[in-house]
Amino acid sequence: MGKIVAVHSYKGGTGKTLLSMNLAATFAKQGKIVCLFDLDFRAPSLAMLLEVEKTEHYVNDYLNGTCEVDKVLVDMSETFHAKGKLYVGFANPATEAIRDMSAKDRKWEMRALGRLLALRTSLLNDKSIDYLILDTSPGLQYSSINAIVTADLVLVATTFDRSDVDGTRRMLRELYDLFEKKTELVLNKVMDVSTKPAKEELRSRVKDTYQVPLLGLIPCFCDVLKAGGTTVFASEKPDHPFARILDEIANEINGMP
Amino acid sequence: MSATEIIGKKPLQILERIKENLEKLNEKMEVMIELQKHDTKSVMQPLTETPLDVMTLLSMPDHLRKTAITVCRLGRATADEIAQQTHRARAVESAYLNQLVIMGHLKKQRDGRKAYFYVERESQGGQ
Repeated sequence: MGKIVAVHSYKGGTGKTLLSMNLAATFAKQGKIVCLFDLDFRAPSLAMLLEVEKTEHYVNDYLNGTCEVDKVLVDMSETFHAKGKLYVGFANPATEAIRDMSAKDRKWEMRALGRLLALRTSLLNDKSIDYLILDTSPGLQYSSINAIVTADLVLVATTFDRSDVDGTRRMLRELYDLFEKKTELVLNKVMDVSTKPAKEELRSRVKDTYQVPLLGLIPCFCDVLKAGGTTVFASEKPDHPFARILDEIANEINGMP
Repeated sequence: MSATEIIGKKPLQILERIKENLEKLNEKMEVMIELQKHDTKSVMQPLTETPLDVMTLLSMPDHLRKTAITVCRLGRATADEIAQQTHRARAVESAYLNQLVIMGHLKKQRDGRKAYFYVERESQGGQ
């Protein structure tokens, strides 16, 4: 049985999309069948980053109930040099679509939750998908909380920025805990973890601050930032230290019950 | 000779009806007990259909949230099926489920002797 992983954060710019895309690429590299969904309907980014100008159906359409999920899946296995399979579900980047998704009411959101929950059967069971990765929008948005409720595991991308630390701590207590979610942290853009003691010190500081397991520590790589998200290091530069860290994170997740 | 054969078909049907009625009565009593245990006023307020969206789930007391999320996941389930998932007693789940029906979050449908609980999604509007 596959797993649904939601990638979330309190603030924007913590590296959710970078992490989602590279994690999906890593699993696909390992031979897994992976689906990556962009659920950031207010600021869709996967279509731009993967240079997909237009697709026939978007995740928006699936959630609106106007198409089935298989119409949404775009096979991008070749782009990601996948040993397995990698399908992407894009959020519609058109301004009109963003406006439409921002104006949804509570009843629509309730139905959207039902449609996301149904993916466990339609993708994980019927299509034998190993991982469904949900890239969410930051903070307490309907689409993000729907994704969190649907997920088996929530990866929280965070930095040591003060406002992000406080907000993330609050979310851990007042959001993930309330839904009894298995939550793991990925600390991104970390400075100076070149030595083992520095790494250990940081790990213990994260543990004291958040009281949840730390799944990964990602240093600030200048070449990753310079690429502006357009290079998928996990598939294009598999020997890069960033890709190596992603391998470790993916293996940890593979080993989870 | 089996018990069914001794008492005949009609008395058995009567006994089943009595059992069904007792179960219904028991469910109603469980709801009343639950309403007394928790904040009755806040629980009783919305008697009309109220969407079970994630913000509503977040604002619920912990004991009801667990039951409500399990119904969302299963789609349509009996108190027994919910209890298997939450590892709580069937009677407890039955009380919580009926409470969620009273609050307007769930629908209840009887199918023979079984009562099914579900979230009404398709018949509601929403844009």
